[in-house]
Amino acid sequence: MKIELNNLYHRYDVDVLRELTFTLEGYKSVAIIGVSGSGKSTLLRILSGLETPTGGTVSVNDHDVTAPAYRKSVGFVFQSHNLFPHLTLLENITLVLEKTRGRSKKEARDQACRFLTMLHLGDQVHKLPRNVSGGQAQRAAIARALSVDPEVIFLDEPTSALDPVLTYEVLSAIKELRELGMEFVLVSHVMSFVKEFADYVVFMHDGEIGEHGPPSILDNPQTQAMQDFMAKVP
Amino acid sequence: MIPTQGELLMPPEARRAFRGAAVAYAFAISTFVLLAVFIVIRQTRPFNLEAVLPYREDILNGFGRTIWVSVISLIGSTSLGFFFYLMSASRVRYFRAFTDVFTEIIYGTPLLVMIMIMAFVIGPAFGSTNRAVMGYVGLIVYITPYMTNIFKSAIASIGAEQYMAMDLFGFTPYQRYRYIIIPQVVRILMPPLMNNFSLIIKGSALLNVLSYRELFYEVTLMTNNNFRFVEGFLLMWGLYLLITIPLSQVTKWIDRRWGI
Repeated sequence: MKIELNNLYHRYDVDVLRELTFTLEGYKSVAIIGVSGSGKSTLLRILSGLETPTGGTVSVNDHDVTAPAYRKSVGFVFQSHNLFPHLTLLENITLVLEKTRGRSKKEARDQACRFLTMLHLGDQVHKLPRNVSGGQAQRAAIARALSVDPEVIFLDEPTSALDPVLTYEVLSAIKELRELGMEFVLVSHVMSFVKEFADYVVFMHDGEIGEHGPPSILDNPQTQAMQDFMAKVP
Repeated sequence: MIPTQGELLMPPEARRAFRGAAVAYAFAISTFVLLAVFIVIRQTRPFNLEAVLPYREDILNGFGRTIWVSVISLIGSTSLGFFFYLMSASRVRYFRAFTDVFTEIIYGTPLLVMIMIMAFVIGPAFGSTNRAVMGYVGLIVYITPYMTNIFKSAIASIGAEQYMAMDLFGFTPYQRYRYIIIPQVVRILMPPLMNNFSLIIKGSALLNVLSYRELFYEVTLMTNNNFRFVEGFLLMWGLYLLITIPLSQVTKWIDRRWGI
């Protein structure tokens, strides 16, 4: 995957991202880490096309992230599952595939069942989100993100709402998907997983990119900010 | 491999709990039936429902008018309530303030007062002396802010995160409304809408003060003629419950079946 940031600048009421210029190429799974409010989630949302930056240009795999077509080529998993509550887990996926990707009913159903089964939800497909656990709903959301055959999948702290067992299950599913050749950008607080999963790590601090490099930088932080961060996370 | 919806519906422990609840309800209903029987036999005059028979046509017509006026008021107040919802969600500050002030006035007004004011004060001011129609209007206006409220809460219940998901997958505006927003709003709306319908049915009894010949009026008319207060009022009570209780049961069923 190739990510290019050119003078990326974003603000809501305050500066969230300040003049980021950064290029990254040839990595398959990138982890963005940092404390809350460091701008990591905003960066992820801009990379996925969910949010339009205030200034600067951003491209992922040579696609301009502000182009409307780009959004259809990405998968995004939110912190909370964001499933449509009136639809079953299966319908949450088939609706997306039938209406926005033009698949037939049968194709959509087969595809949905395939991904739900992959995420260990084969026996839950007809349940509404309110009738499954938060962890199951989150896995269904991952299945939904995968089902659109995305070029890159963005995950915004996908396990922050899960218990350790489900976290493990979800993270191992993500690892399996990586083996299949999928590309990920992930915001996570689970450092053990970041070390094992990511082949590139970006540490955000106060709206800027602090340190970046292979996962080994986690063991040997150079800046004070990253040393503080690593001392606080488990 | 994938179980059908039916198989997932009722596991054995749920079936047992359901049976327990059914027995409890059977006893509770019997208690009230016994209480009714006790009250009837305590009356000094022998209970004779046949005394009502000569008036059955008038009473049934009254019952029909009660349902009719309630349905009209339901439609009217739902439409007006939706219109007021649009105003309350408007960018124009005056419209928002207008609906707030209107709501405060209605919330502070007894329904009986609203009906009288509409029939004897506001109606004539606009050249209408048709009290029955003004009664309808009073009922509609009175229920409107309650309707506005349920629209507000139903539409607010679709959170920002769902709009994010709709953005992400690229649903068109039509698809958003057709498949995601309206199906949810309707499901959230149904139970409170049915509760308001019940409120309207009960409120419609007050239209008798305008000599509108609905159920309460017809029954009172009969009791004034034949002095069969016990039979008449019990029958009237029963007829109201005949609409309102099934209505509330259907509402609960809808909520269980389609609630989100």
